[in-house]
Amino acid sequence: MRRALLAITGLAASTTALVVFKGSPGTSQVAQNLPTAQPVNPSGPGTEPGAPGTDPAAGTPTPSGSAKPSTSPKPGKTTARPSGTRTTKAPSAPRTTTKAPQSTTRRVTGNGFENEYGYVQVQIVVSGSRIVEAVALSLPSGGESDIHSGDVRLAYDGTGAPGTPSEVVRKQNANLNTVSGATETSNSYKQSLRSAIEQAF
Amino acid sequence: MRATLTRPGLCRVEQIMGTTITLDLADDLPPATLRELADEVFAWMHEVDGRFSTYKPDSEVCRFDRGEVLLSEASADLRYVLETCADLWGATDGFFDAYATGRLDPSGYVKGWAAQVASDRLVAAGAVNHCVNAGGDVRVRGLSPSGEPWRIGIRHPWDAMAACLVLSGTDLAVATSGVYERGRHVLDPRRGAPASGLRSVTVVGTDLGLADAYATAALAMGTPGLNWLARLNDHTHAAITDNARQHHSVDLPLTD
Repeated sequence: MRRALLAITGLAASTTALVVFKGSPGTSQVAQNLPTAQPVNPSGPGTEPGAPGTDPAAGTPTPSGSAKPSTSPKPGKTTARPSGTRTTKAPSAPRTTTKAPQSTTRRVTGNGFENEYGYVQVQIVVSGSRIVEAVALSLPSGGESDIHSGDVRLAYDGTGAPGTPSEVVRKQNANLNTVSGATETSNSYKQSLRSAIEQAF
Repeated sequence: MRATLTRPGLCRVEQIMGTTITLDLADDLPPATLRELADEVFAWMHEVDGRFSTYKPDSEVCRFDRGEVLLSEASADLRYVLETCADLWGATDGFFDAYATGRLDPSGYVKGWAAQVASDRLVAAGAVNHCVNAGGDVRVRGLSPSGEPWRIGIRHPWDAMAACLVLSGTDLAVATSGVYERGRHVLDPRRGAPASGLRSVTVVGTDLGLADAYATAALAMGTPGLNWLARLNDHTHAAITDNARQHHSVDLPLTD
């Protein structure tokens, strides 16, 4: 059970990097078939994350796990029910079921964690008993945290190596198997994600 | 894309070396075989972490650094890593420096090398279609579970949820070094100051350890690293500058 939780945690952590697995959502393995989805960050860039455990941005389909602060996990207990507010919205299905997942979609925000590089807070989107998306509401950035590529579109300086055409960096959200990026500071992300998962299930 | 409900293979994720290691086996092998292959990959990554971590005082790297292990007593793996780091120091004009922090830290090579060895062992064991992602350094081989070449996004340096380029291939080592995750942690070893000018460098080749070290070296060079990358044989690259301009080799394996 602990292994399963770790596996889910690790999987969702890798979705920060936008790992979008191919496949349909009808299978039983969370780890293998996330539906292709656009990022669903409701707050958008630059929004201040709320205090730990607070409700995420308005307009979400159902209340998140704000009713109860996260308590210490009991990974061994599969029969533990989540807090009462959610059991009516999303009847907890056994995680190993092969039945079609519930159509109910919930957003659960993890506690925020401060690390030496900044503030990290993660929100997960749960459909039935499956995590379909993990979104970082807040991640640390370098000293240029306010710079977004769109803002510097006109800042072309024309320098570049011969033979390497230069262009403005753009965003592409294609159907990806994996993502190459700088090594993540994964610990705070993991903690926040874990608290979100503990609240959700 | 096949419209089956289940895909062949196995996907497993673990937290090792302070980061996320993802293994995606795409071969349609018996489940027990796939689990065994994945067990071997992660056992190897744990072994490397135990022996090469600079955070574990009893690791072989730390004991060697303190002089408790002589070069002649070191394991074949450690000697190989030290030799390669010395070669890389020369090949990068000193910009890849395993002693940049004042003590031995070969991490800039070890993570990619460990994933490369894992991938080589999978091929030798007959699992020729797989993807190993070690904290953003990627080795892909063969085809993805959909039966098509692997699609590898390069993370957008200002948006963790977006990719800025997409690569595609059946035999690629893709390593990215950037300043966006851990701040300006890459030092220019000549000035002892943080490198500037480049926000992210991706190097594509067939050896993940080398690709990782080259990407780190170019990042440390700053803007002059663009010229150095352009002269690098047998590798292609993409680099994004601090002012959000993107440069890449004309023969980078880009896809839509």
